[in-house]
Amino acid sequence: MAIDQQKALLFGAAAAVRLLLFTAFPSLPTLLAGRVEVSTPVTSFKRLQEGLFLYTHNVSPYDGGVYHQAPLLLPLFSLLPNPSYYPFATNLLFTAVDLLGASALMQIVESGQSVTTRLFSSSRKDMRWSSIAVAASFLFNPFTVVTCVARSTSALTNLFILTAMAKASQGASFTFIFALSIASYLSMHPILLFPPLLLLCYDVRVTKTKSSSSPLAFTFYHTMGLVDAIGGLLSLSAFLTGSWEFLSATYGVRLLLPDLTPNVGLWWYFFTEMFDSFREFFLGVFWLHVASYMPGLTIRLRKQPLFVAATLTGIFAVFTPYPSIADAALYLSLVPLFRHLFPMMRYTFLAASTILYATFLGPAFYYLWIYAGSGNANFFYAITLVWSLGLSVVVGDSIYAALRDELDVERPELRGKDVKRI
Amino acid sequence: MALLNSVLALRKDPRILKLPPYLSLLCILGGIAWLLVLPLQEYSRGTYVSENALLPGQVHTYFTGSEHNIFRAYRQEVHGLADKSIEERTRRLGDVFRSQNLKVATQRYKYHASGRNISNQNVYAILQGPRADATEAVVLIGAWRNMDNEINTSGVALVLTLARYFKRWSLWSKDIIFLVSGDSTSGPQAWVDAYHDSHSSDAVEPLSIKSGALQGAIAVDYPAGPWGHRYDKLHIVYDGVNGQLPNLDLFNTAVSIANGQMGIGCTLQRMWKHDDKYQDRLQTVVRGMMSQGLGHATGPHSSFIPYHVDAITLQTVGDGWHDEMSLGRTVESLFRSLNNLLEHLHQSFFFYLLMQANRFVSIGTYLPSAMVIAVNFSITAIALWVASGRSATIPNPASTDHKDKNAAVTVVEKDGAKAIIPTAALEITERSLFLPLGFVLSSHFIGLLPLYIFNNTSQSYLNLAFNATTAITTILPLATAFALSSVKQPTEQETTLVQCFSLLLLGMFLSALATLNFSLSFLIGIAASPLSFTRAIHAPPASSPTSPPPSFLKKNRTAISVAQATLIAALNPLVLMKIAALVWKVDITDILVKAAEGWHVWGLWTQVVVWLAWWPAWFCGAVVVGSGLFS
Repeated sequence: MAIDQQKALLFGAAAAVRLLLFTAFPSLPTLLAGRVEVSTPVTSFKRLQEGLFLYTHNVSPYDGGVYHQAPLLLPLFSLLPNPSYYPFATNLLFTAVDLLGASALMQIVESGQSVTTRLFSSSRKDMRWSSIAVAASFLFNPFTVVTCVARSTSALTNLFILTAMAKASQGASFTFIFALSIASYLSMHPILLFPPLLLLCYDVRVTKTKSSSSPLAFTFYHTMGLVDAIGGLLSLSAFLTGSWEFLSATYGVRLLLPDLTPNVGLWWYFFTEMFDSFREFFLGVFWLHVASYMPGLTIRLRKQPLFVAATLTGIFAVFTPYPSIADAALYLSLVPLFRHLFPMMRYTFLAASTILYATFLGPAFYYLWIYAGSGNANFFYAITLVWSLGLSVVVGDSIYAALRDELDVERPELRGKDVKRI
Repeated sequence: MALLNSVLALRKDPRILKLPPYLSLLCILGGIAWLLVLPLQEYSRGTYVSENALLPGQVHTYFTGSEHNIFRAYRQEVHGLADKSIEERTRRLGDVFRSQNLKVATQRYKYHASGRNISNQNVYAILQGPRADATEAVVLIGAWRNMDNEINTSGVALVLTLARYFKRWSLWSKDIIFLVSGDSTSGPQAWVDAYHDSHSSDAVEPLSIKSGALQGAIAVDYPAGPWGHRYDKLHIVYDGVNGQLPNLDLFNTAVSIANGQMGIGCTLQRMWKHDDKYQDRLQTVVRGMMSQGLGHATGPHSSFIPYHVDAITLQTVGDGWHDEMSLGRTVESLFRSLNNLLEHLHQSFFFYLLMQANRFVSIGTYLPSAMVIAVNFSITAIALWVASGRSATIPNPASTDHKDKNAAVTVVEKDGAKAIIPTAALEITERSLFLPLGFVLSSHFIGLLPLYIFNNTSQSYLNLAFNATTAITTILPLATAFALSSVKQPTEQETTLVQCFSLLLLGMFLSALATLNFSLSFLIGIAASPLSFTRAIHAPPASSPTSPPPSFLKKNRTAISVAQATLIAALNPLVLMKIAALVWKVDITDILVKAAEGWHVWGLWTQVVVWLAWWPAWFCGAVVVGSGLFS
């Protein structure tokens, strides 16, 4: 079967599954949109609807403190018919978002940047999954499906992150900058992906044109481009809402964590327990912690920038203030790009079981806490710790495997020997 | 670090793979033994009231004397309504409440399940507490018909009498709602759903008047006719839907008042005779676990518990010398205690096993037994995962035995020293995950089919559907295994991985379930435990002079596989259900009708667990054994 036929079949099946879920269980989107694991205060579809209502009634969408998402989503969604009565258009949009994401993922696979970069070529580079298989693992990942059905706006962020990666791995500067600026505009933290993806883009461009342009000029132009694009988006938002107050309602909320609704991350519990006088300090520490992975990984794994970007999405899924399973879905769909690292990963079974266990125990413990009243917040928090542990094991293990892979190329005589930590 | 390395090195030791079956067996036996020691004096605890606001039995009760005459009059009234229509009954009961100056409302409900219509009416009245601000309420329930479908004449009469009596007191600091529900299960469910605005509007009428947050509910079940009946004991029923339990403080308060203040003996779980011996305690625990595991509604109180409203039913049993007034005084005292509450019952345990009216074990003590049983599946799953990544037996080149001589070897050199290692030991086996994962996931999806069938078949076909499903599910695994072997013979690794994933999922489901419904998890764990020990025994590869002689297992492959298949067929969830129904002499149709009612009305999810967790695990296990048979 030709690759196009396979792709059509895969995309058709994935769209069918989503639309079937939407139509066969009309109450499912609302149910999932109310789950804390899926919808966070900054991505919830219900809050988007609230913002939309205010926006269409000429009230500032940020009045009332419910809506914390980007202003440009409002004109987009106000074009669609009201999802409470005619949900089909919205459902179709979210299905399309997933399919576009999968398409971007296929482009990343086809670029081959996950195994062979300008400076590095893995010794196991033939061990790869086809783009169809990787796209299938994204489209049929239950976390992706649930995110899509819950119509969480992090699906859009995921799409733009994947697009930015795809375009960077093709060396298409303009679209890369554009996609990344939208992703950063929507959820702020993707801005941290800029340095590794810039390196990726630079490497690809140098390989393609066979001439090494000045890295400084390249960085300068791209940074300026990013600043311009984000500035443009922000100005457009200010123009649209009539004031700059959206900054504090969107990025302010993401930075300062005023809404302590439980989620699968690690922040909310800490900050509910914390005395207010320590709040600013720990906000600083927590953000510093998230951001500090970027320079470290980018420098150490300079030769594999795509791997750095993928690993950073895993870091985001664990350490950002409002993570949801959508972030984990993004990371877990990027992991299959690095099929060649699997033989060197040591804890795959452990990590997979941990994530699976947390997936089932999380809702059970949340039920015990909120509905049955027989448990308490510690139950759910314990499970979010396990969930984060599972993800961080995958992150840590894959970094180990990537380093080991580099070592195998640099020192072929050490292949197959046990390594010791010094 | 050195220690860690040596532990990691152990992973390669073939002996380590021999251990897990014993470990699994140990877990199962440990889990059962753990449960068996619980009734001992040393492992259980005496009950105590934690919430000091309750002060059980500290008040004098005044429900005596002339109230008895009023009770008798109401009982005659209620008896007179026995053969009246539902509308007439509701109207007359409403009139009685209205004559007591209470606010009255009615509610119709109409459910469909198994092709039956369950339609009836609830009538309720609200007493506004003189010191209350309508933010909290307690409920007194008298279902028109009790669980045995007898008319609850004296129970309803007692509710009416107590309504009149309570109205005179000025000390209530919570509203009191008197509810006469049409039946004992769906009626209270309809009412409590509508009270919390979570009813489906096409089946249930909304409530026209409401009060505050419900703090507790007491149901009275006293089906004595117009001439009364003196009872011996109070049977306290406390199981909620899906095995959720009310706060132990409520139960303790009821026991303490009935026993200590009124001198009425209390019993539970239909243990009419309880000598406080080990056997009796164990029997009570096991009955409690069966009831909790099934998750069905056991009385009018059951529907309240999922809404986090602690509730119990007081049922009169036996022939003795206690009369309706002592029951009335018990309820009065109980309401006085609930009236004292400053906050929702939260102090005491929500997870417990009772073995007598005043002895219990709490979750910390009993949970490990279900957990270790669930862990046994995870251990086997891990062992199978490791086994699936191992290539065929590693030959020993140094052996003097003839058969290992031709094994391929590799020379490795380290620090100038050379060693000859069998090549097989160096190879990393790649696992082919696609078929096993797909198979396990799709077998979990197949479970949706019987789930749908049993919940939506009409009553008259349920028995047929059950027998047909039993027959089909018994044959299906063998047919699947045969079909698989004729289409594409699954490799040994693939069958191992199928079993690995299915047991991993089962272990995960059961450990998650153990936190929600301990008993169900324990019972399914026990019933599924043989799945940890059955294996697909594949035919040995075509023998060549170098291959080792077939082991005992391989020699008697067919016989052992057939024995395993028979054992597994007997463990079919449906077969076990049939056996259980025969042992307890219950009609299987009744169980299925109740289950369907539970699914549509009460929000019961026991069948989800059975069909989407237990049955698929059984199915995968059976297919794995079958594939050994057909290899």
